[in-house]
Amino acid sequence: MTAASPPPVAPPSWRRREARLAWALVLPALGIIAAVAVFPIGWTVWESLHLHDLRMPWLGRPYVGLANYAAAMGDRRFWSAVGHTGVFAALSVSIELTLGLVLALGLDRVRRAAGLVRTAVLLPWALPTVVVALVWRFIFESPAGLATALAARAGVTAPTWFADAVAAWVPIVLADVWKTTPFVALLLLAGLQAIDPALSEAAAVDGAGPWRRFTGVTWPLLRPALLVAFLFRTLDALRVFDVVYVMTGGGPGTATEPIALYTFGTLLQNLRFGFGAALSVIVFVTAFGLALAAIRVLGSDAFLERRP
Amino acid sequence: MARWIRFVVTALAFAAVDCASGSAPAVLTFSGSVVGREGDVIRRQLDRFQREHPSIRVAVRATPDAADQRHQLYVHWLNARASEPDILQLDVVWTPEFAAAGWIANLDRFHPPLEAFLAPAVAAARWNRSVYALPWFVDVGMLYWRTDLVPHAPRDLGELTSLARGRDDRGVPFGFVWQGARYEGLVTVFLEYLGAFGGRVLDDRGAVAVDSEPAQRALAAMFDAIYVDGVVPPSVLTWQEEQTRFAFQNGQAVFMRNWPYAYGLLEEPASTVAGRFAVAPMPAAPGGAPTATLGGSALAINAHSDQPDDAYALVDYLLQPEQMIERARIAGEFPTRPALYSTRELAAAISMPLADALAIIERATPRPITPVYSQLSEILQVSLHRALTRQQPPRDALREAAVAMRALLAAARLGPPA
Repeated sequence: MTAASPPPVAPPSWRRREARLAWALVLPALGIIAAVAVFPIGWTVWESLHLHDLRMPWLGRPYVGLANYAAAMGDRRFWSAVGHTGVFAALSVSIELTLGLVLALGLDRVRRAAGLVRTAVLLPWALPTVVVALVWRFIFESPAGLATALAARAGVTAPTWFADAVAAWVPIVLADVWKTTPFVALLLLAGLQAIDPALSEAAAVDGAGPWRRFTGVTWPLLRPALLVAFLFRTLDALRVFDVVYVMTGGGPGTATEPIALYTFGTLLQNLRFGFGAALSVIVFVTAFGLALAAIRVLGSDAFLERRP
Repeated sequence: MARWIRFVVTALAFAAVDCASGSAPAVLTFSGSVVGREGDVIRRQLDRFQREHPSIRVAVRATPDAADQRHQLYVHWLNARASEPDILQLDVVWTPEFAAAGWIANLDRFHPPLEAFLAPAVAAARWNRSVYALPWFVDVGMLYWRTDLVPHAPRDLGELTSLARGRDDRGVPFGFVWQGARYEGLVTVFLEYLGAFGGRVLDDRGAVAVDSEPAQRALAAMFDAIYVDGVVPPSVLTWQEEQTRFAFQNGQAVFMRNWPYAYGLLEEPASTVAGRFAVAPMPAAPGGAPTATLGGSALAINAHSDQPDDAYALVDYLLQPEQMIERARIAGEFPTRPALYSTRELAAAISMPLADALAIIERATPRPITPVYSQLSEILQVSLHRALTRQQPPRDALREAAVAMRALLAAARLGPPA
């Protein structure tokens, strides 16, 4: 570009050619996205506006407007599933962040065989969730499970874990915490190691104790990493399915049924495509909104703070 | 899989030979349980059928043994109006659903010998007064009891409780175990308690009666057995058939409710209770009758089959007495012809004493006969489990279940005329 050239009235032909080429090049990718994402989502929305129950084919497949959504809004099982999902997310994420932070602070001080230690810590994360859930289910099975036996040895009568609406959450949350805390710890460890040790040393020279150094230096600088871990875990926890499916199947009654499991049962076991599609759309819109919010938060605050 | 492939290849080879000889043979497709001992029986019988009917070839289409998965697969095939499989093995509770959907053929025109089959099993195969499937083998819920711990089978539910209570001095941890997890098994147990108190899920007009007085008493009896009498351990609320069998087989329970399959396994030498148990119908309470929930399978013909006549010939063949006895001998599945229960052939084929088996089978009661049985069952499973895990008083749970069932029947346009 030179200052002498006149301002272009229309884009030069080479530029239009380039633009056409660019479109041609991204077209396959756009086509694939349309085929695997846009089309199924559109179809689900369309399906959700119809009464479509594969187990009652004599009813046909009439258009019912928003009736399926209205039914979901008036469905107690749906709302309790929403509640269970929220409780699970709040409980598991807060425990995982706390334990993960403690673990990360500990790992940060490990100097010898650091790679080995980190790998060992990460092992639970490497196991498939279904396997983890099965093992924890065996531990809490009544009356022969390890947890019940240990409680008996300690002189406590353990509840029948999976037949108690409250106690059933213990193995579920425990299994999730056991599996996912290492992942949180690793994220936070990366955050800790990005903090310049000179800052902490300078604070120590100024007479700050360990607690003061943590609250004044480590914590504020670790916040972006904490935020990332928090958002990842929350989005994951809101989609919880496999742990509950394997351990309780949503029981006793429907006391531990999260929204993903309810949707799965409605769609794939009861074959209620219309109502199930409405549930899916509600979950999708919620998750999409949360993800957008997360990207906004991460994209602005988190990375801005890191600049000097 | 390899076997299946071999089977198809053989069938194709036969087909090729027949084509070469000029007569194009019909190929029937059979789908159902084709693994393990059930697979051995069905393959033998299909081979014999083909020898007797040289113009017909039969191919086997394997389907999953898990009821839910097989159901799902059938729904996908039949909903797409596929002409195969021609013959379907249906769980007894699916027949009305598939019939109402127009997926299976009305068998009335073949004039099947219905009077030869167990009446409740035939009733379960009817929809709108026509018969859509024929009962192939039956499963019934029954009471297993320890002959070395109690003097006789309980005459009523009250006696069962008192006999089960007396176990403590003998070091037997559980009085009575049944299937209490949230699944179909819980509903089958409930239906036996329900019959014991004279209750029904749907009345004769098809109206919901699960919140009736007898039903309340039945659920209260199950609840009290756990929390008041302490004869049923709370852990049954997570148990299915196998967990109850393990407990009984290890000598941990005086009574067990289970299906016939457990009999042979409990008789094996490794079993602690071999030779020390017997079976009886589930006992009743005042106002009701001993009830055995009916399970098992029926054979139906795809409504879009290209060769319904040949298909019926095969169904008819599989339901002959010889085939049923062979099935009982190899797979341990009970025949649906009551007349067989007085034959020496059947006595030699099954390990359970025939008189006991017949006494229980005569009590067979079908589950609610409605196209929306699966959905009704799911409503019941959740409500029963909520009540039994003390999340809801039994009375409220049944009332809520009844409301949900009435809404379902109304939505399905199957409710009784108002």
